[in-house]
Amino acid sequence: MDWVAVGLCEDVPARTVVPRRVQNTDLAIWCSTAGVFHAWGDRCPHRGMRLSHGFVRGETLSCIYHGWTYDGDGACVSIPAHPDLTPPKSICAAQYACRVQDGTIWVALQPTQAAVPELGARRAIRSLAVQLSAETLATRLKQPFGPVITLGGAHDIALAVQPSTDTDCLLHAFAAPDQDRKAVSLALEHLRDELEAAA
Amino acid sequence: MSRSINDYWYPVGLLSGIDAPHATLLLGADITVGRTHSAYWVTDAAGKALPTIKRFGHLWTCPGTPMDDLFTIPEADTAGRQLVDVGSVRVKCSPLRAVENFLDIAHFPFVHTDILGAEPHTEVARYNVDIREDANEVWATKVKFFQPQAAKSAEGGITTEYMYRVASPTCAVLYKTCPPRPGEWDVITLFVQPLNEEWCEVWPWMALYDDDSTMAEMVSFQQLIFMQDRSILENQIPTKLPLDPGMEVPTQADLTSIAYRRWLKKIGYTYGAQLVAA
Repeated sequence: MDWVAVGLCEDVPARTVVPRRVQNTDLAIWCSTAGVFHAWGDRCPHRGMRLSHGFVRGETLSCIYHGWTYDGDGACVSIPAHPDLTPPKSICAAQYACRVQDGTIWVALQPTQAAVPELGARRAIRSLAVQLSAETLATRLKQPFGPVITLGGAHDIALAVQPSTDTDCLLHAFAAPDQDRKAVSLALEHLRDELEAAA
Repeated sequence: MSRSINDYWYPVGLLSGIDAPHATLLLGADITVGRTHSAYWVTDAAGKALPTIKRFGHLWTCPGTPMDDLFTIPEADTAGRQLVDVGSVRVKCSPLRAVENFLDIAHFPFVHTDILGAEPHTEVARYNVDIREDANEVWATKVKFFQPQAAKSAEGGITTEYMYRVASPTCAVLYKTCPPRPGEWDVITLFVQPLNEEWCEVWPWMALYDDDSTMAEMVSFQQLIFMQDRSILENQIPTKLPLDPGMEVPTQADLTSIAYRRWLKKIGYTYGAQLVAA
């Protein structure tokens, strides 16, 4: 997978940061005050604290442990213990490519020329966790393995698959714009229960 | 001087809290802690009695051969102090990470906001650190920091002075300006029982000059502080403390932590440490 969906934009409003995991890599996904999304390694280089516990001010993300502050390019711009110090350029957070399309946040762990997958004329419904590997999920749905699985059906559902670990996925679900959000959400929960129960 | 991790003294319980036999872990091994009338005891998994010491309100044991006496804190013995048995907190982190966090002041404004620190008072002035070869301890002195509420008995912000002392690999002592008694030091300790390399039981203990606060208030103040620390300690990557440079980036404010890591490496105490950058 080149691009992996890691969440719906509406679930990561401006000035928030959330933890996500893609293929066992821990990420901090955050949205700046101006609404710019970023995908970083979930680790402050100073003392290894998870940046997803941090706080957003303006266009920067700060670590909650000692307030080290990183700009939109991941460069450390402030070390509060030493207010007069200009941090060395070498101090930076690990950055990953991040795009927004179809109300969804997409991340590429490796550099890629590929286009972000299309979800057609659907609208975002919700994210839900499934205790299955991405491969097992595709097999049980009898669909080819990939970043987006199109199920169709009455709701015209499509699933963007985020392989979190070797045993867990986060699914980001989309449906035809005229479908009732609550009805689709319930259908997704039933589908999830069936897939997890299938041997 | 190099010794096995088994040859150090470790805290295993509050004297006031030990009654019926209680199973716990020390350095990954099963032990049982109990009291028969007024005699406190610790046994290993085979039922063999381990040496014990009663000190600082806690029971201490050594699963190997103790090479010397448990350290002392003479300042805590002066009259008029409240001796506060805080109790314990279990934390999913390396015992060494717990000690290192206790030695750190730069996190006060962000983790203990409006209690031990507050923006914009974030600067950590230069302080002194030395590894004292004679006592085999790490000391940081002339540490100063602005605090909105330094202790339960403190009203309003003050610049607090501290000394930090690492008395054994998993035990540290903090000497801190005492608001009601200028010239004396409040004593706050962190005694860590390593359950295993990534899980510990932390026993804070205090000897304070405070005639105003109740015991419950002093305990609850310290528990609040440590709960805030726990939210950090359980979210550091990697879980173990990296002793080799390269994996983490220290600054001048981290001189105590740098000395602590260097000292651990020098004495060969690597339980709970990560040696090769992953």
